[in-house]
This record gives sequence, structure tokens and C-alpha cells, in this order.
Amino acid sequence: MSHHLDTPKRRVLSGLFGGRRGNRIGVANPTSIISIELMKKVGIFFPEAHLDPQKMAELAATGHEIVGFDSIMPEFSVQQEAEALGCLVDWGSPNMMPDAKTHPAKEAEDIVIPENILEKPSMKVVLKALEILRKNYGDHVAIIGKVMGPWTLSYHLAGVQEFLLWTLTDTSKVRQFLDRLKEVSILFANAQFQAGADVVVIADHATGDLVSPKTYQEFLLPVHQEMNQRIGGPTILHLCGNCSDRLRLFVEARFDAYHFEWQVDAKMAVKVVNHEMSLIGNIANKGVLFGGSPEDVYKQARYSIEAGVDILAPECAIPLQTPIENLRAIVEAAKEGYQ
Amino acid sequence: MLNEEVDLFYKALKDTNLLTIEHLTKQYIEKQLSPLVILNEGLIAAMERIGQEFKAQQIWVPEVLLAARNMHRAIEMLKPELIKTKTEPRGKFIIGTVKGDIHDIGKNLVVIMMTGAGYEVTDLGIDVPRERFLEAISQINPDLVGLSALLTTTMLEMENIIKGIREANPSRPKVIIGGAPVTQKFAEKIGADGYAEDAVRAVELANRLLRERS
Repeated sequence: MSHHLDTPKRRVLSGLFGGRRGNRIGVANPTSIISIELMKKVGIFFPEAHLDPQKMAELAATGHEIVGFDSIMPEFSVQQEAEALGCLVDWGSPNMMPDAKTHPAKEAEDIVIPENILEKPSMKVVLKALEILRKNYGDHVAIIGKVMGPWTLSYHLAGVQEFLLWTLTDTSKVRQFLDRLKEVSILFANAQFQAGADVVVIADHATGDLVSPKTYQEFLLPVHQEMNQRIGGPTILHLCGNCSDRLRLFVEARFDAYHFEWQVDAKMAVKVVNHEMSLIGNIANKGVLFGGSPEDVYKQARYSIEAGVDILAPECAIPLQTPIENLRAIVEAAKEGYQ
Repeated sequence: MLNEEVDLFYKALKDTNLLTIEHLTKQYIEKQLSPLVILNEGLIAAMERIGQEFKAQQIWVPEVLLAARNMHRAIEMLKPELIKTKTEPRGKFIIGTVKGDIHDIGKNLVVIMMTGAGYEVTDLGIDVPRERFLEAISQINPDLVGLSALLTTTMLEMENIIKGIREANPSRPKVIIGGAPVTQKFAEKIGADGYAEDAVRAVELANRLLRERS
């Protein structure tokens, strides 16, 4: 018998707030699930899909139409804001994601935030794509937006190694960067809600493998708290690496959900966050989604469901060679319900 | 060098003030101590300790970057002295991220740790095509080559490069690989001599391969 929560959108929204359960768990993608195989199926390819709203929306929709996910998320790259902030971006190719080639800010004063930043083509395209998706799918599919947080934007503007070194040698500069750049994240997130997103992912790569929990706590925690106060809709934190040692900090930052990796054990995570924040994840890319069999994917998915994760998802943006059948195996595992 | 002296180098590598390592290195050069002793027993020993702390997740990447910056400065000061003694490096190592790859933080950490361990490192940089690797190998005749990939597409390019290296010489250099999508199984499949999960393990692997060879 179909359950009243049994539409893709309801499943995702319910999971997002840790709410009532329908027949099965929702399957969503806070990060890109676009593969070369999916691009071929609809004849829309990178890099055009990063910069053309119609193509962006159509390619993103394959995640729902072809793979069967309960969400659609149109921002595939992490460089949309970077170009608007003055980085020279190489938009890549079908098998290569975009990359910022220049890092124009050595000092906080070098950061230039254009007044009309939302009108810049690389950012406007996301808003337009969300509008299209809202119109075509908004009545039944969860529409997910995404912005880069100030830590990631600092990497783009200053360079990863430079910025990480400053966390020891020039802490006031780090604070100035985060303080200025968070304004871009807040502005873009709120504009994405206006354009039609149900939820916005904040991707901020202070990853577990690069920096310590203390670094997160000292620099980013207060910034994320402020962002979550000033962003009007639900937020998902995407911050990769093994973050087993700092899950409580993300709860303190008041995100509605955290998108996490397989390295973080789902059972432990569920226990630690204690339903104060939802958990989205955490099927491994390496060796499983890419390089594993549908059976491998199925096993991980069932483990996560049994652990009590709120929404199933790949752990991060998938490798572009990931087979569609492996992505479908996540959905198949979900369809078996909670038992 | 006494343990307490190694401690001084260790503390200097961790100091955000560049003057600390400069003063210490200058002081030891003025003591007329062999630059090799300063390098091997002071700096490399201290860096190894930092590598172990990194591996044990007691410190993170910023601390490693800081130690690398400081060590780089010390080596610069030692260079004129080292040239006079005509020292041989522990081994020669060439590294690059293979064609189409642009993410180099992991590769840079390997460069830092290998340099810190006393290897002569040639960094070919990012997005390095097969021909450039083969050309550099014939010019430098390294003991080891490191290939790094962060993207799945470039994993396939690794196999291609290893084939080219083996065609030229079946036993030298040894090839080690790493990067986010790479696994031990994959390394064996494409004929690499080893796989390392992170920068510290890359140094351990390199040391082991060279020991086995000699």
C-alpha cells in the first residue's frame, strides 16, 4: 500500500528534518552524480552543462529520470563562484571537472566581490537552472541547491596550500577571508531558495584529512553558525574526509544535515549526532561506486539504512566513470524498505 | 647529534617564526659541523618525527606545510656547504601528476616528505604527459618514479606511462603510485612496484624498495 510519504520530495524533506518515515528511505545527491554514461544518454556534456542553464537542468534531471534518485541537484562543479570572484577557470571537458587556474588574492583587501555577483554568468546559470527544475519537477522531486562555503572560496582565491599555512602563520588574515567570503555564500544560498531550491548544500572543504577539529572549531564554527542564522532555508553541510572526531561541532554549527563519507562509520555517527542533525550518506566512491559491483553498493547501502542514516547518498561527487548500474543499486537497496 | 639537539631542530621546524630555524642552522654551520650531519641527523631526523605525527593524526596538513617551509629555508642555507662536500642523495626521485590531473596537494605532500627524507626530488608538476615523464627519466636516471592521480580518467594514463617506462628498461626505475582513486589492487594490476596511501607511507615504501634492490 502506498504511504502518504511515498513521493520523492516528501521522502527527502522528511529525512532532512529527521521526521516521520514512509515506506522507504529517500535517496538524494548533495553532490554531483553525473557520469559520462549519463551525459551520453541525453547528449549533453561538460563543460557546456556548467554554463548553460537549460543544459545544466536537463543533465541534472537524469539523476532522477534515469537513475531514480529522489532529488535533482544542478551544480556539478565547485568553481561557479570562483569565476565570478575573479579566478581564471578552466571549465574542463566531459571527463574533467573545472579547475581554478589563478588565485588572485594574497591579502583580504585583494578580494573583490562584485555588487552584481548574482548576475555573473557562472552564478546566474545555477539560479536559472533551479528555476527551470522548480517548474518541471518541483511538484514531486526534491530540488537541491549548492553554494561553496567561505573556506572553499578561500582555497580558490588564495590557493589551498597558502591558505592552510596561514591558519598557523597569519590567523587574522584567515578570519578576514572567511568573514568577507561568507557574504557570498549567504547571498547565493538565499537566492537559490528564491529560485526554487528546497534545500541548499554548503560545501566547505576544511576536510578531515587536511585540518584538525580544533581548526574547524576556531575558525569556521562561528562563521557557520552565523551563516545558518542568516540563511532562511534548510542547509546540508558537505565537508569531506574522515570527520568522525568532529561530528558534534557540525551539530553545534546548526546544520540541518551533514553529508558524510564511508570512512565515518554510520552506526557511530547516528549515535553521536543523536538525531540533533540528520545524516546523509555514505556509499563509498573508491572501490565501491567506482570499481565495485552493484552487489558491493547494495551491501553498503543496506548497512547505512540499518544504521539509521536519514537519507542515502554517494559520499561525494562521483567519479565520472561510475557505472549507472552501481548508482541504481543504491535506489534498489532503498526500495526494499527499512527492514 | 644529541637527542636534545634534534629536539631543537624539531621545535624550529614547528615554529611559525622563520627566524628560529635560520638562527639554529646558522649556529650549527658556525660550529663547523659537517653540513651532512646537520642535514641527516638534525633536519631529516626532525622531519621524520613530524611525518610520524602526521601519520598518527596528531598534526594536520598546515603543520606539515609549515615544517616544509622552514626546512626549505634551512636547506637553502646549507646548500653552499653541501655542494663543497659533494654528497650523494639517498636516491633520485621524479614525481608528477599524470596527464589531465590538476590536483596537486597530495603530490606536494609527497615532495615535502621525500625531500625531508633526503631524496633528490624532481617535481615535474601537474598535468604531465607520458612523453615528458619518459624524457625526464632518460635525462635524470632516477631510482624511483612517483605517479599521482586524483581523477579516475588519469588512472588509465598511469598504466600507459608504466608500459613506456618498462619498455625502455624493465627494472629501473621503480614506480610507485598514489592518489584518491588508486588502490593496492590497481597498482598490482598495472604493474607498479608499489602503492602508498599517503605521503609518509610513500617515503617508507621508497626506502623499502631501494633496500630490496641493493
